[in-house]
Amino acid sequence: MRARILIAGLTISALIQGHIFAQAGPNGTSLAPAKTIAIVGGKLLTVSHGTIENGIVVMTDGKIAAVGPAASTKVPAGAEVFDAKGMTVYPGLFDAETHLGLTEVAADQNSNDLAETADEISPQMHVADAFHAETVRIPVERLNGITNAIVAPAPEDSVVGQDAAIQLYGRDRDEMLLQNDIALAMNFEGSVRRRANYNGPSKFPTTRMGLATQIRQAFLDSEAYEAERAAAAKPDHKGPPPKRDLKLEALLPYLHGEKPVVLAAYEGYEVEVAMNLAKEFHLKVILNHVTHAQDVLDEIASFHVPAIIGPIYDSPRPNERYDAVYSLPAELQKRGVKIALATFGEDMGGSRNLPYAAGYAVAYGLPYDEALKAITLNPAEMFGLGDQLGSLDVGKSANVVVANGDPLDVRTSVKQVFIAGRKVPMVSRQTQLRDEYMPLTDKNP
Amino acid sequence: MFSMDSVRRHGWLCPFVAVTSLVPVCLRAQVDSKGTPADIVIRDATVMTVTHGTIPHGSIWIHNGKIAEVGTTVKAPASARVIDASGKYVTPGIIDPHSHSALGNDINEATSPVTPSMMMIDAFDNRDKALYQALAGGVTTELLLHGSANMIGGQAVVIKNKFGLSRDEMLFPNAPRSIKFASGENPKRVYGRRGEVPSTRMGNFEVMRQAFEDAKAYMASWDAYNAKVAKGEKDASPPKKDLKLEALADVLRGKLYVQIHCYRADEFLTEEAIAKEYGYKIRGFHHALEMYKVGDKIAPTGTGIATFADWWGFKDEAWDAIPWNAVMSMREGVRVALKSDSNDYVRRLNQEAGKMVHYGGATEEEALRMITLNAAWIIGVDDRVGSLDEGKDGDVVIWSMDPLSTYARAEKVLIDGDLFFDSSLPGFGTTHFSGVMHDAGGDGGEDEEGDGQ
Repeated sequence: MRARILIAGLTISALIQGHIFAQAGPNGTSLAPAKTIAIVGGKLLTVSHGTIENGIVVMTDGKIAAVGPAASTKVPAGAEVFDAKGMTVYPGLFDAETHLGLTEVAADQNSNDLAETADEISPQMHVADAFHAETVRIPVERLNGITNAIVAPAPEDSVVGQDAAIQLYGRDRDEMLLQNDIALAMNFEGSVRRRANYNGPSKFPTTRMGLATQIRQAFLDSEAYEAERAAAAKPDHKGPPPKRDLKLEALLPYLHGEKPVVLAAYEGYEVEVAMNLAKEFHLKVILNHVTHAQDVLDEIASFHVPAIIGPIYDSPRPNERYDAVYSLPAELQKRGVKIALATFGEDMGGSRNLPYAAGYAVAYGLPYDEALKAITLNPAEMFGLGDQLGSLDVGKSANVVVANGDPLDVRTSVKQVFIAGRKVPMVSRQTQLRDEYMPLTDKNP
Repeated sequence: MFSMDSVRRHGWLCPFVAVTSLVPVCLRAQVDSKGTPADIVIRDATVMTVTHGTIPHGSIWIHNGKIAEVGTTVKAPASARVIDASGKYVTPGIIDPHSHSALGNDINEATSPVTPSMMMIDAFDNRDKALYQALAGGVTTELLLHGSANMIGGQAVVIKNKFGLSRDEMLFPNAPRSIKFASGENPKRVYGRRGEVPSTRMGNFEVMRQAFEDAKAYMASWDAYNAKVAKGEKDASPPKKDLKLEALADVLRGKLYVQIHCYRADEFLTEEAIAKEYGYKIRGFHHALEMYKVGDKIAPTGTGIATFADWWGFKDEAWDAIPWNAVMSMREGVRVALKSDSNDYVRRLNQEAGKMVHYGGATEEEALRMITLNAAWIIGVDDRVGSLDEGKDGDVVIWSMDPLSTYARAEKVLIDGDLFFDSSLPGFGTTHFSGVMHDAGGDGGEDEEGDGQ
């Protein structure tokens, strides 16, 4: 609400000064409200209902108002027309795990808010509290058509905090944070054990036994806390109510199955142990990584839970064929698992390389349409945002990308990104540096 | 099997014919003692030569491990083994001019900022799975470098990725010697946190200059000794041989290709000034993420670069990195190669090259040159590999489609005319490997003491 009042105020002052919507907010953000824009003549990859060769997408008030063939879809009077002839038009891409806004320069500790590591069990940590909306990184990523992402804490603890869903454009954090605490980040993997390292000496838990028992105790404590609170809420309760414990309280929506836990495990046996824990407490699970679980693929399918797979570039074990991980998305999709792909904050080139990971999955057997879904509609649905994001459908947020070719091909260039119906300036700190130093002539030998 | 004698006779009897007119039911191919055919023809492919364009429906004839002919038709003997590649793409083997694969966790001897006598070959583990995975990505030649903890690191190994052969057989024969230098954040971090020099860029460069002064004094002592010997002085006693100073002297004598890990524009200029002062040439700046700022000044020096396609922001000195760097530097006249510095990215350098079409509008040939011929030039083996030209080594990759596409898979990889990888084979797809692969650990780019990046 406040943002809208601010926009209205600025609009009036801009009109008074005789120019309209010239200002840009932080992060290159235009302050202009979304106009009605029609993207005309492109090949539409709707994701939900096939391809439309010569189509029109109409965006009004930040939402998609119409999608269809050019022959039967009206461009509203007064709409700004974006000519997409010869172009490919598709829904904005959704990176199912990133650290966007939690780090600027990885090697610079002062710029990192990646994980609170003093306590292995830290569900009360909300990445939304650290999300730096004005990061230089977001404009860089979105130029390749990434419009939405899950921001997760770094996998430093077994229960490391709560994720947020973001859109990669907006006036400020209030506009860019779509949903705080959208999921709980859990990691059942060897690297979260508290073994002696540069950060200090060994402490509990140094083993997977320790991790499992600690997670189990945390959920039991949370259940006990809830029972105690319920008892205290009864009219016959005597004495003061128990003190609120934010840590134990943070686990309750997950114990109730109201929100998903993103459960990371790499090896087959880790997946099995983690899933046993999840079943014990009736958690709603999104499996994460599973890149070395080739031995339990049928079992993973039998869980009937979605999975974020990757990084697809994880190195196979020495006794495995070179494509053991490349082919994993195809193998799981074939078994009926709903899959998403992600960059996991690990790609040195950034989230902007998300579509190429999907393309690699295609090279190793994943059907093209499923690959596109794995970076659009599937992650949106996994995180409960399927009604707002992930496909070109009427009523969804107008996050739309126009590119000069196949979105999954490295050679393709994105020409225009729309987020919430706004035309995003195709500018980043990197394009500014490029333009500043662009050679005047070609001296290529 | 049949005897070599009969094979030779058979070979003599084989008439030379244009292969395009042949059906691939050809006679038994002539083979050497290892079973490698003397003549191989890859036919009916889209042949990306790198030096003279792309030939649709082209063929390549490899004779005794060397490229004998490339064209629409080739005059190979009828005995040649024919690989039908219709619908496929063929390129030279991919070359990685910056790798730390197969060096275990011995990438950095980070106990002194000057360690030029370290020989990376002494750490080379030829059974590292990273080499196999790179081979499956079409990589046939790699420069295995010391890390960047030290201002002057060790001497590199150049390998041909003949995975499954012995260590000696994997060495690139008669490749020039390269030495790794570094600059910037890594050396000053590694030594600075121990309270030692260098802890700043001033310290970095001063350590380097002092090393060359020491080398000059050492060379002078040998010159004096040699002069005495030449004059016939019987009592002349030779100075002590010092491996470290010998290596530095070889830099000053121009016997080592200098490969410098360097990110920032100002540092390229400082490095060139120091090289000029001491009279050596810099072969390549590695990483070189800010070359787009001073490409016009570096181009005339002849120094090339081996850079990342789109890595950025992982440290302060990578903050101004832009993915247009490679193409912008190329337009300024700098010779540009792409490299992996990673056991991960080495498997898909073709994809990294494909990004150059997107970032800056490189032609496909320009992009491909960055991971073949220009990479070969950085190493100093561009007269032998890096393009599909007559007389060059038969290092060839057959791709499922245009290698610059995201979807391309390397299907067959030949090195010196010998098939080393074939994705259609069961198991690993290797032809010469048996036994157990090793896992060197890490990602081939990192080392807590000052990584390769």
